Amino acid sequence: MSENAKNLVITRTFDAPRDFVFELWSEKEHLERWWGPKGTSLNVLELEFRPGGRFHYRIDPPQGDPMYGLFTYQDIDKPESFSFRSGFSDAEGNYTRHSMAPEFPLQVLTKIHLAEEGEKTVLTLTGGPAEGTPENERAFYEGIIPNMQGGFAGTFDALDELIASLKKTK
Amino acid sequence: MKEDHLSSTFAALADPTRRAILSRLALGEASVKELAEPFQMSMPGISKHLRVLERAGLIDHSQDAQSRPRRLKGERLKEAAGWIQEYASFWEGSLDRLDSYIQELQKQRKHKQRKSIRPSKAHQQ
Repeated sequence: MSENAKNLVITRTFDAPRDFVFELWSEKEHLERWWGPKGTSLNVLELEFRPGGRFHYRIDPPQGDPMYGLFTYQDIDKPESFSFRSGFSDAEGNYTRHSMAPEFPLQVLTKIHLAEEGEKTVLTLTGGPAEGTPENERAFYEGIIPNMQGGFAGTFDALDELIASLKKTK
Repeated sequence: MKEDHLSSTFAALADPTRRAILSRLALGEASVKELAEPFQMSMPGISKHLRVLERAGLIDHSQDAQSRPRRLKGERLKEAAGWIQEYASFWEGSLDRLDSYIQELQKQRKHKQRKSIRPSKAHQQ
């Protein structure tokens, strides 16, 4: 993860051409095989990969209750980038707050950017508060994320360490 | 209620002076005077920030009768920071699976290619 004042940024390189990687994000047969945390299985309830279209899915964890998620696609610029709002959902396909995490922001806006690097693809994922997120949630992202990622070099290192050590004692 | 905590935590963290105060307190407790120093701020100015942090449950006073230094309370920060880690882990986990899936597909593709290149026994007669 890299440092960015307002958004979470994750960069990965995949050993596959860009067009192919783009397909893996936009086709049901592929999404079923990799989307979701390790050890879970995915059911695609609805997938329309187009601006305004939705990806509604159910994740079955090894233990516990199933979890529903929803993407609403925004801009799509094949094969280079696409963006979507995402959040927890219910079986009917409405955005909800997760019962176990009422403090999660309702929706997050994520952008995926794919760049060709020879035969490989560099993927950059940027996530931040979605439009219409209340101001205080935006302040949270801007307050917490730099701390979490050591974005303000030096000043917040101690705070990061404290948070890390507190999390270990949980 | 969790949602109330979160609003005040957000508001408290939205200010860079307050974030710097928290960072300083992460190193150990400090008096109001010590906290004001790096900002060359007036005492009322710094006190206003401290009140916001106190109301948000992010700091409190230690019991020292003389100077009542302020100290960091980790719980709220932990709570607030916890979900970011969850979100980041969720994404990292999915991207790990994407990587494995790509490698699996590449392996299958190369295996198919090798099979088609290898001459069949019939042609070697």
